[in-house]
Amino acid sequence: MNSRHLPHYLMVLPFVALFAAFFLYPIVSGFYYSFHDWNAVTEPHFVGLANYERIVGSRDFSRAMWNLVTYVVITVPLGIAVAFGLALLVDSFSGFWSNLFRSVFFLPVVLPAFLAATIWRWMYAPNFGLVNMVLGWFGYPSVNFLNDTDTMLYSLIAVDIWVSAGFNMVILLAGLKNIPVDLYEAARLDGASRLQQVRHVTIPMLAPVLFFVMTYGLISALQVFDVPWLLTGSSFTNYGGRQNALLFPVMDMMGRAFGSVRFGQASAYGFILTALIIVVTAGMFGLRAMRRKA
Amino acid sequence: MTIALEATESRRRRWPTITAWDLCRWALAISVTIVVVFPIWWMINVVFTEPGTPVSINPRLYPTSFAAGWDKVAMILRETGYLHAYYMSMAYALLTIAGVLLLGSMAAFEFALFEFPGKRPLFGLIMLSLMVPTAVTIIPTYLLTADLGWINTMQGLVAPGLASAFGLFLLVEFMKGLPKEMIEAARLDGARHFQIYWHVVLPLTRNAMVTLAILTFMKTWGNFIWPLIVLSNAEKYTVSQVVGLFNAPFSHQTVDVVMTANLLAAIPPLLFFLIFQRKIVEGIAMSGSKG
Repeated sequence: MNSRHLPHYLMVLPFVALFAAFFLYPIVSGFYYSFHDWNAVTEPHFVGLANYERIVGSRDFSRAMWNLVTYVVITVPLGIAVAFGLALLVDSFSGFWSNLFRSVFFLPVVLPAFLAATIWRWMYAPNFGLVNMVLGWFGYPSVNFLNDTDTMLYSLIAVDIWVSAGFNMVILLAGLKNIPVDLYEAARLDGASRLQQVRHVTIPMLAPVLFFVMTYGLISALQVFDVPWLLTGSSFTNYGGRQNALLFPVMDMMGRAFGSVRFGQASAYGFILTALIIVVTAGMFGLRAMRRKA
Repeated sequence: MTIALEATESRRRRWPTITAWDLCRWALAISVTIVVVFPIWWMINVVFTEPGTPVSINPRLYPTSFAAGWDKVAMILRETGYLHAYYMSMAYALLTIAGVLLLGSMAAFEFALFEFPGKRPLFGLIMLSLMVPTAVTIIPTYLLTADLGWINTMQGLVAPGLASAFGLFLLVEFMKGLPKEMIEAARLDGARHFQIYWHVVLPLTRNAMVTLAILTFMKTWGNFIWPLIVLSNAEKYTVSQVVGLFNAPFSHQTVDVVMTANLLAAIPPLLFFLIFQRKIVEGIAMSGSKG
């Protein structure tokens, strides 16, 4: 390192210093805490793998994982299917209407997720909530969307898709615009119907973008927090909704940290979750590599 | 005969035939619009209705009383800590934007335009952090913030979010496209390193900076989890927490008051969207296509 390079280092220093302090250091210290029993007041003492064992063996963990798997398996594919449909729909219009519908469908993304959750909590309300009112018009009985343990997860998924479809739609739309028009032209000359064009031109050409949307969606779905937390009116001492039907790993982690003040366990939880996310992401990349070879 | 043919021909040109597919896509687009807009519209209607009107008389499908809504807004701003929460959220967002733009553009300037030992591994490490979920860092970051004595402070709220790897990525991608000759020219004119950054590169990066600023605003205004744990003192609450308070199961607030609180929280991002629509959509599309 000589003085010729000094200005370069000075310019990156502020960013790198904060990055080291608030990203690298927390990862290292979190790893250390994850092997210790610590309540932030007394000295941490080493417990080996006990934190990890206690989490994996706990009932809340299996419940949270089960909820998570069900949620992810439904919400990610369904959300992307909806977003893809919306992108095709917006793309089928042109000029003013295309722009207008794109903006309107994007509206929920602009709203903070905490707001979407609070609005929907009232939309779902049993007596005067709008969803039940509409169901009533069609003669259906009132549904307890946020308190009936069989329905709660689906109520969450509906809100989730309402919130996130516009985001994926915008990314997919940008991908659609990059598909050369001649490909459709050629398909049409070959006698492909509109549906066949989507199947044989749009989807293969859009594969990289679909892959990104899918991976990104998976990573964020595995960390779901705001919306179920607010839909269930959770606090650090009482969370997850009725019979823990909307308990998710990040909520469980936060509860262990700030409700029962077990920072060691909460840190360990973060690493378990990260391992899961890495496995899922690696699986996605592996699948892609296999499909490319095939 | 020919005249009649021409007439139908021109009529056909002026009135394009409406196919079943056209009907379908319009019906679909309008239905989706209703589903998307209605919850927001409903929130506004609940606010702008005389309190106490039963749902059976007025199902809140349209606003009925502007004065009633205004009274609720005034009441909330006067009697709760909402104004202070607004100030906290605004300060949080603006300081984060300033920091992300300044630190990010300084670092991006180097990573995009110059070579220096250690650049590649360093940049690679920062990009790798984009893959690491927040779940793993949030608790230890909280513990660090607590160690620094920054709980319930503005610096505790802002500092951990400043080194934005996403922001750096966005700016580096943009700056890579700048003509290197301009920098050489400026250097030959005797400009110092920092002057090149400040007077040559920053003005050229304006577009990307505006996009990043808008996306950062959306993200900080909507951030729920970090304020929730860093600010435990109710006097320091941000808008997201105040909204949470109104919505708490035992807050004993009526729905119209809750919706007024929600509406107040929705106004800044909605205004932002109306003004910067294109930038926001393009920014997200770009981060998607390059990620």
